Amino acid sequence: MTREKLFMTAQAVLCAVIAALLAAGALSLYLDGAAKQAEGDLFYYMFTRERVGAKLLPVLPLLFCAAGLTIAGVILGIRDEKADKPVKDEKLLRDLGSIREKAVHQQADQKTLTLRTAVLVIALVLIVIGIISGGLEDVLAKGAAICTECVGLG
Amino acid sequence: MDKKITRPRTRRLVQLYAALLYNANLKGFIDGHIYSGDLKAVCVPGFNCYSCPGAIASCPLGSLQNALNAAGHTAPWYVMGILALFGVILGRTVCGWICPLGLIQELLHRIPTRKIRKSHITRKLSYLKYVFLAVFVIAIPLIWGIGKGIILPGFCKYICPAGTFEGAVGLLQNPVNATSFYQLGAVFTNKWVIMIVIGLACIFCYRSFCRFICPLGAIYGFFNRFALTGVKVNPDRCNSCGLCVMKCEMDVKHVGDHECISCGRCVSTCAQGAISLKCGKITLLGPETGKNADPEPEIRKRKKAGRVAWGIAIAVLVFAVAWFNFIEPAIDRSNAPAAAVTEQPAQPETPAGTETETGAGTQEAVSGSAEKNEPAAAAADLPVGTEIGNRLPDFTTDLLSGETFRLSDCLGRVVIINFWGTTCAPCVAELPYYEQLKVNYPDVEILAIHNRAGAKKAKAFLEDKGWDHLDFALDSKEKGLLPLLNAADAMPQTIILDRQGVVTYNAQAPLTYEKLEALYKQALEH
Repeated sequence: MTREKLFMTAQAVLCAVIAALLAAGALSLYLDGAAKQAEGDLFYYMFTRERVGAKLLPVLPLLFCAAGLTIAGVILGIRDEKADKPVKDEKLLRDLGSIREKAVHQQADQKTLTLRTAVLVIALVLIVIGIISGGLEDVLAKGAAICTECVGLG
Repeated sequence: MDKKITRPRTRRLVQLYAALLYNANLKGFIDGHIYSGDLKAVCVPGFNCYSCPGAIASCPLGSLQNALNAAGHTAPWYVMGILALFGVILGRTVCGWICPLGLIQELLHRIPTRKIRKSHITRKLSYLKYVFLAVFVIAIPLIWGIGKGIILPGFCKYICPAGTFEGAVGLLQNPVNATSFYQLGAVFTNKWVIMIVIGLACIFCYRSFCRFICPLGAIYGFFNRFALTGVKVNPDRCNSCGLCVMKCEMDVKHVGDHECISCGRCVSTCAQGAISLKCGKITLLGPETGKNADPEPEIRKRKKAGRVAWGIAIAVLVFAVAWFNFIEPAIDRSNAPAAAVTEQPAQPETPAGTETETGAGTQEAVSGSAEKNEPAAAAADLPVGTEIGNRLPDFTTDLLSGETFRLSDCLGRVVIINFWGTTCAPCVAELPYYEQLKVNYPDVEILAIHNRAGAKKAKAFLEDKGWDHLDFALDSKEKGLLPLLNAADAMPQTIILDRQGVVTYNAQAPLTYEKLEALYKQALEH
């Protein structure tokens, strides 16, 4: 295994471990909390700043380590060389021949121009109708206050 | 292997620029509040959560779900028009150039590990995003909204990693929103794990979210074929070698198809100089080397135009940052409007006929029994504020019933103040519990204040629901009740005061009837 491959493998393992710890931390807090609530503790909060902090603390050194490795990797120019090469998946490239025809003929023809203009006009009409019917205020109502459920808070 | 650090490409700079412009409300990250000004009525083209403390405009996908949720009352013309406009002008160029979530995915992919290349399997997986679009963005909001009258933005609630990262984590990291932790549970755990999995996938597989999940990309993909901006192939130069497709990291079948994000990588890949990134007839990115390179004067002209565009863009960014952080008076929390507010705390009870000096003026005392006066006198020494143990500042507001609510008139009774909004599902779900509490305990005073945005529609909403036992008030810019009571931008929030007007509970979290009743009894015995 070359030095680059070793570096990339170590980095991959580190990333996977960090992800596993972060996910497992949240799951354990939730499961502990669910058990406490099932016992009848109405005001037991599954997540608090302190509990979350305690779960995050052991992950922080690993995060710094991964960040350091990433910076070192970027400076040293370490990257998967395969990423720069053309893909060779035969199944993927099987229908490339017929597809090329489409690509070559995708020039903006009259049909495309008409379609583009029509959609543009429709979009503008919809916006005007929407504004008249109070669409602006609906978007503002949702955007100006946090919907805790939408961002996953509750 | 290239061992040197390369200069950031133009695209990366544009991505960073867009991310910063979308999130120009930088002070939001410091004070923990979101921007709630009028610009939130406009959607940005890219994926950027509107609950991010920095966001200055709304997320098009969140707005679409909200509009579809309300399709039983109003048609979603505005959001559909906005999406069609962005689609026809930019197509998926949005994904490649001006989407902050795309930038985050690309940065994660820069972490040096072995990478998973595209294959026939990833191509098949790329159709998954249409399933996400159909189920979570369209079907769930429509079915729950029209059929059951329940607000349920399926994608936002169950999947969106932008909401978790920018919105939830962005807010939770600030100590101001400490009580937001109280409501974290199954939904958060689910979304947190999804975000971690997507983030991990992006490290190994280029733009995993964008390729396999993103419904916004799926929508813009429909417009890609005829969008004004995008990569175009010159048929006179193309020799059909297919190198562009083979080196592209997206699951494209041909340049410019519905999977193409117009990143422009193929422009430099094509040895024939057949590919360029165009907006109408204007070439934004063209072949600059090789036998078919664009003429030198044209390249010089393009670079000059690019410098002018950057100059304008930077000026816009500077203006936006200055405006949203120093000028825009969306909600000034330091100086709440005084029109509806008496600048004094709700006074504890004192014997009838006594007058109390309160700095800003005198207030006629409320009659009360001698037994109640001892704790009342102790409460008078407490600091005015919104935290537990503080006395809430006194305020007056008009109720929808036509009466006037004055906090100091409620002394001697437990007061519950609830901040809610018609677009907030947990708020609407918990209001019946308040109604039930008022029926069961008529002595409690419950004031439900609707957020200023969308207040006009709240009246019609309440007429439908018929919650007759609660006092409803609508907040407005002029009233400024939310900043006065230091309510968060997050809903629902509940403040409970004991009989002396002292805060016994203040949290941004939905409540069940059992919790509400327990909190009421706790305040009663306080």
